[in-house]
Amino acid sequence: MSEAIITLERVSRVYDTGKVLVPALEDVDLTIERGEFVAIVGPSGSGKSTMMNILGCLDRPTAGRYVLDGTPVEELDDNGLAAVRSRSIGFVFQSYNLLPRTSAIENVAAPLAYQGVGRKERLARAQEALERLGLGERLHHQPTELSGGQQQRVGIARAIVTEPALLLADEPTGNLDSHAGAEVIDLFRQLHATGRTIVLITHDVDVAVAADRQIHIRDGRIAA
Amino acid sequence: MKPGDLLRLAVSRLGTGKLRTGLTMLGVIIGVASVVALVSVGQGATSGINSRLEGLGTNLLSITPGATTTGATRGAFGSATTLTTEDATALTTLPDVAGVAPELTSSHLIAVGSQNETTSVIGTTPAYPLVFAYEMWRGSFLTQASVDHSLRVAVLGNTTASNLGLGASSIGSTVYISGLPFQVVGIMQPKGGVGFQNPDDEVLIPVTTARDLFVGGDSVRTIGVSVASQADMNTVTAEITSVLDQRHGIGAGGTPDFTVTSQTQLLSTVGSISTLLTVLLAGIASISLIVGGIGIMNIMLVSVRERTREIGIRKAIGARGRDVMLQFLFEALLLSVSGGFIGILVGVAASAVIAVLAGWAFTFNPVTVAVSVIFSLIVGVIFGVWPASQAARLDPVVALRYE
Ligand SMILES: Nc1ncnc2c1ncn2[C@@H]1O[C@H](COP(=O)(O)OP(=O)(O)OP(=O)(O)O)[C@@H](O)[C@H]1O
Ligand SMILES: [Mg+2]
Repeated sequence: MSEAIITLERVSRVYDTGKVLVPALEDVDLTIERGEFVAIVGPSGSGKSTMMNILGCLDRPTAGRYVLDGTPVEELDDNGLAAVRSRSIGFVFQSYNLLPRTSAIENVAAPLAYQGVGRKERLARAQEALERLGLGERLHHQPTELSGGQQQRVGIARAIVTEPALLLADEPTGNLDSHAGAEVIDLFRQLHATGRTIVLITHDVDVAVAADRQIHIRDGRIAA
Repeated sequence: MKPGDLLRLAVSRLGTGKLRTGLTMLGVIIGVASVVALVSVGQGATSGINSRLEGLGTNLLSITPGATTTGATRGAFGSATTLTTEDATALTTLPDVAGVAPELTSSHLIAVGSQNETTSVIGTTPAYPLVFAYEMWRGSFLTQASVDHSLRVAVLGNTTASNLGLGASSIGSTVYISGLPFQVVGIMQPKGGVGFQNPDDEVLIPVTTARDLFVGGDSVRTIGVSVASQADMNTVTAEITSVLDQRHGIGAGGTPDFTVTSQTQLLSTVGSISTLLTVLLAGIASISLIVGGIGIMNIMLVSVRERTREIGIRKAIGARGRDVMLQFLFEALLLSVSGGFIGILVGVAASAVIAVLAGWAFTFNPVTVAVSVIFSLIVGVIFGVWPASQAARLDPVVALRYE
């Protein structure tokens, strides 16, 4: 259990707004082992979302080295990044980000379509994932017909349906009341118990305690 | 993503905004329908004119005054006054000539009781029905005696007769041409056909009468010559030329002051003019197809902007730029191609209706249809690629943050 799934070496991300350079991450070193449940905690503007975009291969570091699941990410082109996202990463967003006018089961099946999985198998696996999250009765509901907590569970089902190496969640409880939020955190604990690697980003220390390890970030740097 | 999945996505997307989809398609529908209909109308009109020209008889030679100059113009075509009734008479003696009919034309008011109309009055000879392929309906045509004695007798075209309210019982009655009384001796069968001039709206009188009463001269607009056998067309043309050259005092190497045209030449001229017209019509119609394409591009650009966040989500869950590109391209193609198919149906229906109304044979042209389908595909690609590549190029981080 000491195999690293994420290795960041002196990673920086500087935004160039044209007028000023905004250093959102500076010289970050970080290692996360396979199967860990880690919370990245910090106040607003500290660089958490920037970190998540880089960990999730939506964005590239401006300096430093990032190895995900054995793949050095900074060498990949856009298609290479898309392939890594498709294969190795599942995202859970604060605002759920379900595809509009698309039923729960089609939402969950969508990532599999980009992997080239056939339609029958896609729908079967999507249904299975939704049933695991207690949404077996809501397969054909549109996002607008679901509560926030249910939408977030659809989002989690979509994130795990591809069996990704890494589950990334940015403020997944941010839009939920405390009860629904606790349910979501509980789900993460269950997924962690089945061996999944989870990185949970939050500003809420009460949420962060659910994780095995907390990494504090302040002004783009890892605090001790 | 597989093509089947892309198609399913496009269909469900276009199904969610039916009004918008319909309006966007309408541009392509109108474009394709007008290409199909106008080409079909052009072809229908061409074959209508052709069949009318062929109805005149393929053994017809027309002699008109004036030379066909290839260099400087010698006055407008047909405006010279070099052909006379004497020329026509001279041609009747040629072997292989079945009939010669001069046309001494002027326009007059024809009146019967309270009915009247203005139409062409043509002075001609008894050979006219043979040369121009008319048949009698009632009564008989002009006789040689009526020509010899400049009688005031008239044969009416079928349309003229019915416009004046004259029927089978009117043979022997009197009509007034520019106030002068003429006895109706016959009414011809309608010939019909489409063209720029109704062949059944005319009044025929002896050529001598026309010369004495109306034209005030002897200049003939046309001399129609019917050749006994199709095989002799060239021989007869040469004979006519030599007779008229001699009569007009034109020596070897001189420019003749008349033109002999065969029906086949006329057909090919008309053919090339109407092909040009058809191409022009199709060209104008394809402009509307391009306008339809711009409509598609417009709606796709709006769509890319509205769905920026969706694009971000799709990229986050594993879509490559190519997948997003194809998704939007498929939507544009589905719009243009289904618009194209509906346009073909509308265009074919419209041309069938027009054919019925205009009275020509409806021709279904598979080439036009194939070209329209290909054209609308191309329109979809051309006007869909740019919006689609805009979508594909979106930065996922920016797109996900888009409100
Ligand atoms: N596209 C950008 N261009 C310029 N500066 C940016 C951009 N994105 C983020 N920043 C800056 O980088 C810093 C870190 O932003 P980030 O979004 O990572 O913070 P965060 O920790 O997620 O905050 P919050 O908890 O409020 O979401 C901020 O100072 C922010 O202003
Ligand atoms: Mg953030």
